Amino acid sequence: MTLKNKVRTKFVRHLGKGFRDDETTIRIYSRDLADLPPITRLFYNNTADAVVLPSTTEEVKKLYELATENKVPVTPRSGGTAGFGGCVTYKRGIIVDVKGLESELLIEPFDQSVLVSPATVISELQRKLNLQGFSLCSYPSSFHSATIGGWIAHGGYGVGSAKYGGALDQILALDVVLPTGEIKKITEKEDLELFVGSNGTLGLITRIQLKIKFDIPLKQFGCTFDSPLQLAKGLKEISEIDPYSIWFFNPKHVEEINQSFGYSLPERYVIIVSKEISYEEEENEFNLSFNQTVRNAGGQILDRRYIINIWNIRFKTFAMLKEYKDYLTNEIILPIETSSKYLQKLSSKIDGQIHLEGEMIGKTHYSLLMFLYFEEKLGPFKKLRVNLDLYKNVLKGIKVKGYPYTTGLWFSGYYQAIFGKERYKKYKEFKKIVDPKGISNPGKVIPPRFKLFPVISLKTALKLASRFML
Amino acid sequence: MSSLQGWQVDVLDVAQKCVYCGYCSLCPTYKELKWEVNHPRGILDQIKLYYSEEIKDKLRNDVSKQLFESVFLCTACRACEDICIVDLPLLKVWEQIRQEAFKRGRWNPKLLSLYNRVKDFFNIFGLPTEERVSWAALSGMNMSRRTQKKAPLAYFVGCQASYSGKMGSIAESVVKILRKAKLNFTILGTEERCCGSPIFLAGGFSVGKTFAKHNLDQFKKLGVKKVVTACAGCYRAFKIVYPRVLGEEWDIEVVHISELANELFEEKKLKVINPIKEKITFKDPCELVRHCGLSDAPREVIKNIPNVRYEELPSNREESLCCGGGGLLKLNDEELVGQVNSHLISEIQYSEANIVVNGCPTCLDTIQQGIKQREMDVEVIDIAELVSRMVEGKK
Repeated sequence: MTLKNKVRTKFVRHLGKGFRDDETTIRIYSRDLADLPPITRLFYNNTADAVVLPSTTEEVKKLYELATENKVPVTPRSGGTAGFGGCVTYKRGIIVDVKGLESELLIEPFDQSVLVSPATVISELQRKLNLQGFSLCSYPSSFHSATIGGWIAHGGYGVGSAKYGGALDQILALDVVLPTGEIKKITEKEDLELFVGSNGTLGLITRIQLKIKFDIPLKQFGCTFDSPLQLAKGLKEISEIDPYSIWFFNPKHVEEINQSFGYSLPERYVIIVSKEISYEEEENEFNLSFNQTVRNAGGQILDRRYIINIWNIRFKTFAMLKEYKDYLTNEIILPIETSSKYLQKLSSKIDGQIHLEGEMIGKTHYSLLMFLYFEEKLGPFKKLRVNLDLYKNVLKGIKVKGYPYTTGLWFSGYYQAIFGKERYKKYKEFKKIVDPKGISNPGKVIPPRFKLFPVISLKTALKLASRFML
Repeated sequence: MSSLQGWQVDVLDVAQKCVYCGYCSLCPTYKELKWEVNHPRGILDQIKLYYSEEIKDKLRNDVSKQLFESVFLCTACRACEDICIVDLPLLKVWEQIRQEAFKRGRWNPKLLSLYNRVKDFFNIFGLPTEERVSWAALSGMNMSRRTQKKAPLAYFVGCQASYSGKMGSIAESVVKILRKAKLNFTILGTEERCCGSPIFLAGGFSVGKTFAKHNLDQFKKLGVKKVVTACAGCYRAFKIVYPRVLGEEWDIEVVHISELANELFEEKKLKVINPIKEKITFKDPCELVRHCGLSDAPREVIKNIPNVRYEELPSNREESLCCGGGGLLKLNDEELVGQVNSHLISEIQYSEANIVVNGCPTCLDTIQQGIKQREMDVEVIDIAELVSRMVEGKK
């Protein structure tokens, strides 16, 4: 759809300079991290009719009222650093860039909480907390660019999730503007969980209250395992000794780390464990326990000299792309118990060229990033084909009780697989009440009809494409 | 001598290498304007569109309008390039797009006027060359015996310290330091030309090169082996741009006044007479710290003050905030300069320092404006002025 003049005027009157619909702006907002080839436009309308930059909650409220009244799709966007299409339009309409919202930051030292606006970049928030002796409990590896609002909307996990869980576990309260225009404060856990991972389909988050913790120094410990089966055993047992973060790579990725950052890590499955340590005795105690656990699981301890400053590359995965012309990526959450064979198969995929980087997100599951690096710039068809191949591999992961990292656009239809049947039921009921006209980020979470052949859903179309186009 | 080809990068190739990680969202301009079109990665996307053969002329025009506007809102703080995870030469890209805008006749009149002033009068103010040494007369110094004299060390005063009344005491302070240390030095006097920094920042390679060549010839003529400057812009030009423009011909050692002062303190050629009691903080100029990697020397100099009350700003060294005054932004959007600067001023307020020391006349001027607006009781001085107070005993 294209905005009718009358409707456009209403938005312009409301937002003034915060409304733009020139072609350049629209094009720039037509993507997220995944720069998909033009051919994928067969699947969706990735160019919006306009982009808006509201600065207050009141402006967002009025914006939603106008959108609902005129049935204009509204797609919220924050950092745009994920590649699941969550912030890309499916049915044109308006993109709401939350970066315009007034910045807010209030640390409550006694409650150990912080009040922030959704557009706050996570590394900036962490820096400000660190200045006051505090730290976020967990945060994504796209730390330097992801925003706190985007992370929550994706239902993300990340560094520290082994100990403190994901986005949902950090939230104390959310201020949201519902698609009806109602402003609401959400504090109950069962309501909060509807918004986490909802990709902005239930409205727009305008303020967040998060748990924080004292900033305790992190110390790193490393070990290696020979096979995915051993790795799984290692991950399971190390999870029991209460580390802050458990981060691991497959041998192919280790090879790349060695080349890019000058390490000499053994080219096996490597686990880097981080532990919050305040004093030396605690370090010695953990070291003993870690060594014992790794040996019991059949792994080898990595001399700590091998991993000096390795935490410094924690947020630099993309640096490995320097030597390459193109890359593709996808992400999945997997259970330790049932995924070792899947991991084995995945590692041998594409002539063993797949890079895997994982992070434990609790005691039982881990998130797994898959990367493919290319020495040549991919043509549109090859890019689509390899993307679909990665997509197929995520779908295969579902068969071993895994689930996509988030729904976004590309995994819309998998909400139930991610959050369970009960939550999906609640989500749908709530969505019906707060967004009767379905204007808030259509195409996300609930699978839309496939643009080219509306008898089937996008979910089915992608499933078929990944099966037959390869 | 290096050529234009050697100077330039393939902007489209750079744009295509962007991995869209978004780390460059720390760009101070983007943080204020908040539109993705002002985000460095958004600018790279516009470059891809601008050079795309597939787009229609109407869209290319639309893109060029936004693209040229966006690159001129850059403060050249280099934070984007510093954090870029795939090491893209972003500053060179912005410079080249600015030059592309020039070729298309899309510079704003203020910028064009600066360009012409520098080109015609060899200084950024468009003032007569004869007035280049009037700072000396105003501060009661006789520089005639130092002007155009053969010496191993030259003090390059720079346009701002030479012409601007607000910066007058920087030049005076540097000369006092050099005299106190009994160094044999010279100044170029009326033969000094703008270092070319504003021209290069605007993307003017050929004109900038004539300035570089002229200054080099002057140094050679006087047998200069080492140049000292108190201006971060001139320092960057000599340290980074001249070697790119002049190639191996540029074989002159360049030091910032903070580096030289630190050396002189270490060699005991300077001694602290006046132990400054006020609380001091240091704001790292972008052109010193991010462009040239200089951040230790000024701190070492300050440490020479006995029992110094020194407080780092929350964002310091490589992470220091931009004052907003760089990259010729003042000519393009003065309001934006104030917005960018306000974050730095808040940090200064947070530090509770009484004196903000700096090493760049542009930062100094911008910070002074911010301090004045908030009616703060904070003095902003150049590192040369601080050293001069330390060794001269002047309060």
